[in-house]
Amino acid sequence: MSAPAAPATTGQPHSLEESKFQIYVQIAMLLAVITGIEIVTVYLPFARWLLVTVLVVFSAVKFLFVIFFFMHLRWDKPFCTVLFFIGLILGGGTMFALLTLFGMKESVPLP
Amino acid sequence: MSSTAAVGAIDHHHDPTTSTGIPNKKLVMWAFLASDCMFFGCLISTHLIYRLHPPASAPQARQVFSIELTSFSTFILLMSSLMMALAVNAIQKGNLKSLRASLLTTIFFGCIFLGCQVYEFNNFVFEHHMTITNSILGTTFFTLTGTHGTHVAIGVFWLLLMYVRSFQPKDPETRPAWFLGNVAHIAVFIGAILLSGYVLIELAWAMQAGGASPGTLLTFAKAQALAIVGAVACLAGLVRLAKTRGPYDFGEANAIDVEMMGLYWHFVDIVWIVIFTAVYLLEYL
Repeated sequence: MSAPAAPATTGQPHSLEESKFQIYVQIAMLLAVITGIEIVTVYLPFARWLLVTVLVVFSAVKFLFVIFFFMHLRWDKPFCTVLFFIGLILGGGTMFALLTLFGMKESVPLP
Repeated sequence: MSSTAAVGAIDHHHDPTTSTGIPNKKLVMWAFLASDCMFFGCLISTHLIYRLHPPASAPQARQVFSIELTSFSTFILLMSSLMMALAVNAIQKGNLKSLRASLLTTIFFGCIFLGCQVYEFNNFVFEHHMTITNSILGTTFFTLTGTHGTHVAIGVFWLLLMYVRSFQPKDPETRPAWFLGNVAHIAVFIGAILLSGYVLIELAWAMQAGGASPGTLLTFAKAQALAIVGAVACLAGLVRLAKTRGPYDFGEANAIDVEMMGLYWHFVDIVWIVIFTAVYLLEYL
């Protein structure tokens, strides 16, 4: 069982740890910039569907950057990614189902 | 063994003692976060469905929300995630001093986020009369953001415990009262957070009502003298308790504990990334 231990970081652990610091700072700056662009985006005079799409894409990019870099999924075993995405897909699927089933008319509060 | 000698000796991404090669603590945390995705997915979709029906007399969400405040708290939470990542990086190198500094900064940013949320909730309830019971928009909004805020508060408490845990002595017999000392450390830390938060929020209200004039500040200082003195005393106590008395029983081997806590904290951040877009930005389109 101990044989697969070698490929993970052995050989260049120090340089990897050094570069991680740079990566974290660069990603944090990128996330801050994307957040700024998101705020500007809502005031742009474009079609609503286009703005919603842009905002969803920006959110997804931020989300993926955080889980793969800050949460180390990029460097961890793929099983962690699989496990988390099972929950994510179930959660996203539930959201999609609820939003599809209960549109505006169906969610009107009772008098 | 010195911490320098240990650097690079532990593989933080593989545990040969488990059948999956993943440390059990990390596996449990990922499973929990996966389940929490479903929990927040339901809360967010409930809000998206019911936000379309505010009562006739209630203000529109766009008139209630403050994009400036929410953007600021979003930025603060993103920066807290950066500091948490740096904390994990520090302990993986066995750098205890850097770990403590990063944890303290993360706690500080987490408290700012919570303070912004308390201010926002106060504003919604007392200025805009949107409560959890008087409209369906209020119900879904406060339930969703309140649940997220509770997650942040739990995260801050966990960070605080980890910070104090890093002061556990390597040889407890040399400092027999270390446990009571750590309990006092936690109490002082909580006192510092609550009193500082209270003073800052009261100051914000006072300045909003009377402006930033010296007269307003003096009146505020007189009215809140006890809270100000308590906050300063707790902060001074924190500085005193943080003085190094090593060696400590906390190092690279504890990196998995810090990493697990980091996963939770980053998850709170990614949930907010979704809430910021789905709950706040969507109202401005």
